[in-house]
Amino acid sequence: MSRPRLRLIGGVCAGFAQHTGLPVGTVRIATVLLALCGGAGALLYAWLWATTPSDSGDFGDTLPKVSLTRAAAPGSSAPRPRPAAFTADAPRVAATATTAHTHAASAFAVSAASAPTAPTVAARAPAVPAPAVSAPAAPAPAARRPVPLVGIVLGAALLLTGAALLANRLGASISFALVIPTVVVLVGVYFAWRQFADLRSGAAPSSSAAFVRTLGALVLTALGIVLFFITGANPSIWTVLAAAVSVLLGLAIVTAPWFIRLSSDLADERAARAREAERADIAAHLHDSVLQTLALIQQKAGPHSEAARLARAQERELREWLFVGAGDERDERVDLATELRRAASLIEADFAVQFDVVATGTVPDEAPEPLLAAAREAMFNAARHAGGTVSVYLECGPGGALLSVTDRGPGFRLDDVPGDRFGVRESIVGRMRRAGGTAVVGSGPGGAGTEIVLSLPGTPLDSPREQAHS
Amino acid sequence: MTDVTFLASAALPVVIVDDHSIFRSGLRAELDSGIDVRGEAATVDDAIALVIELQPRVVLLDVHLPGGRGGGGAEVIRDAAPAAPNTLFLALSVSDAAEDVVSVIRAGARGYITKSASGAEVSTAARRVAEGDAVFSPKLAGFVLDAFGAVAGETAIATEELDRLSAREQQVMRLIARGYAYKEVAGSLFISPKTVETHVSAVLRKLQLSSRHELTAWALERKLL
Repeated sequence: MSRPRLRLIGGVCAGFAQHTGLPVGTVRIATVLLALCGGAGALLYAWLWATTPSDSGDFGDTLPKVSLTRAAAPGSSAPRPRPAAFTADAPRVAATATTAHTHAASAFAVSAASAPTAPTVAARAPAVPAPAVSAPAAPAPAARRPVPLVGIVLGAALLLTGAALLANRLGASISFALVIPTVVVLVGVYFAWRQFADLRSGAAPSSSAAFVRTLGALVLTALGIVLFFITGANPSIWTVLAAAVSVLLGLAIVTAPWFIRLSSDLADERAARAREAERADIAAHLHDSVLQTLALIQQKAGPHSEAARLARAQERELREWLFVGAGDERDERVDLATELRRAASLIEADFAVQFDVVATGTVPDEAPEPLLAAAREAMFNAARHAGGTVSVYLECGPGGALLSVTDRGPGFRLDDVPGDRFGVRESIVGRMRRAGGTAVVGSGPGGAGTEIVLSLPGTPLDSPREQAHS
Repeated sequence: MTDVTFLASAALPVVIVDDHSIFRSGLRAELDSGIDVRGEAATVDDAIALVIELQPRVVLLDVHLPGGRGGGGAEVIRDAAPAAPNTLFLALSVSDAAEDVVSVIRAGARGYITKSASGAEVSTAARRVAEGDAVFSPKLAGFVLDAFGAVAGETAIATEELDRLSAREQQVMRLIARGYAYKEVAGSLFISPKTVETHVSAVLRKLQLSSRHELTAWALERKLL
């Protein structure tokens, strides 16, 4: 059973009607009539409201349709008959209702055990409902299994009231001074544990709602306990003392979830910090030892030797892990500068070449594909025809992106390339032109080598990012 | 800057400061004959004492050093420079954190070069520093362009402005970032190599004196390599 979204008050009657197949009108009238019978209908309504889940919008709810029908049927005639049916069914009903939002590893093992029996006791001996009150004040070590405690507590509270009302009607004299505080306490505890369930399930409740609920739980619990003792027997030093202790205990129970939460958060944070420190240590060590050694190898082996190339590739990899990886591992998006560096290390693995990649400006998150492809081709050309040290310079400004690839090779003239050779003409110049940019192939600095300058107007600054991994 | 000049034939007195003995001996062996390594130091305190005692012309200074108050290379410069007025510092680092490099330069280093540079490159850079020039690697030039807002289009109007680069300085820095040697920069811009050096020195001065917040704030977030 679930409550539909379209509702008059709480949607309980509609949900009940939908579940049982009875006409909604009949159910509503029955509820109103019951409500007039000493408030039993209202209580039942409130209980169902609290325990049945709200329709999430999709029908075909897979919640097990427990014998709610059976439990509710006697309830709809009068609260009098067979309280045992309630006690048997309540936990199961509550289970279906609360699994959705309750992971509450219950600290109320005692009350969970005693709750189903409490109403029976109350029904048999209506004059002594007191035992139920002690339930929330007696927390036991947490049970691992989630217990539908919330529903049980609430159901017990409502049953208790119902039974008391009934007994009263039948002529027994019941002190409402005892019953009402009991119910108030139980409702307060319910709110507290519901809050706990939200916290545990990780759903961040809106702060105002959480605040209201917290406040409500605290006030209700305190009020109930105080009421119980003040209005009970003749106030004496002992009852007042007991009231004070009970209030403190109640507050402890109600606030326990936050303390638990706080301490577990603290532990998590400590662990995370320890991991971070460990990582920093490793990074510092690698930085000091391995990077130094790799630098030395490159220095000793001569700039363009095989050993230097390998050392450089390793250095690059290590740096990426140390600095880029450490910062944001989740960041899967790759900007143009990082792409260029990757391309550089790939090409360096195959050719005797060393790329010097410098990136300036706010490098866009999304690498413009044509620019990147043309740059790769230019770098590849430089590696194949020139080798040695090749400078790659990227500048991303408000006017667009400018990328130059400069080598010190034998030089290269576009006019000398036969028309059927696709390399430069198509994959660099043509590609850039199609993307709305330009590519200029010229001789390098001082007339030696080749310089390819690619420029792409506008686009790159669509998604500027302050922090370029450059 | 001092007017002490060295004859081209005379070997350049140099001190190497680095906490890795392998690196020190490796670099010592690689430097060319024009460089005379007078001593080595491994910690901040040793380095300060050694520099003051030997008064070398150039100190090849690692950015990261143990000892002292934890200030690394920058601390060496700050503490040793007043007692060694003729000594110039060239930062040498495997670090690519712009923060480290900029802190050493702002402490007074005359340039920055990566440790993977060859012995010949380090020798040339040391000589250049000794002659009073600034040494800018392409990466440092790229960082300078970024930090002074040149890429975003900010240009200094007055020459004495410290927080922005002049149009000419931007051109020079761009070409250095593209891997051009000073001579090639001069050729491309049709100016003399001496003028290029003047521009580079001016940029270095701005880098050391500017209060532009990006120099420190951006440096924290960026890496040079």
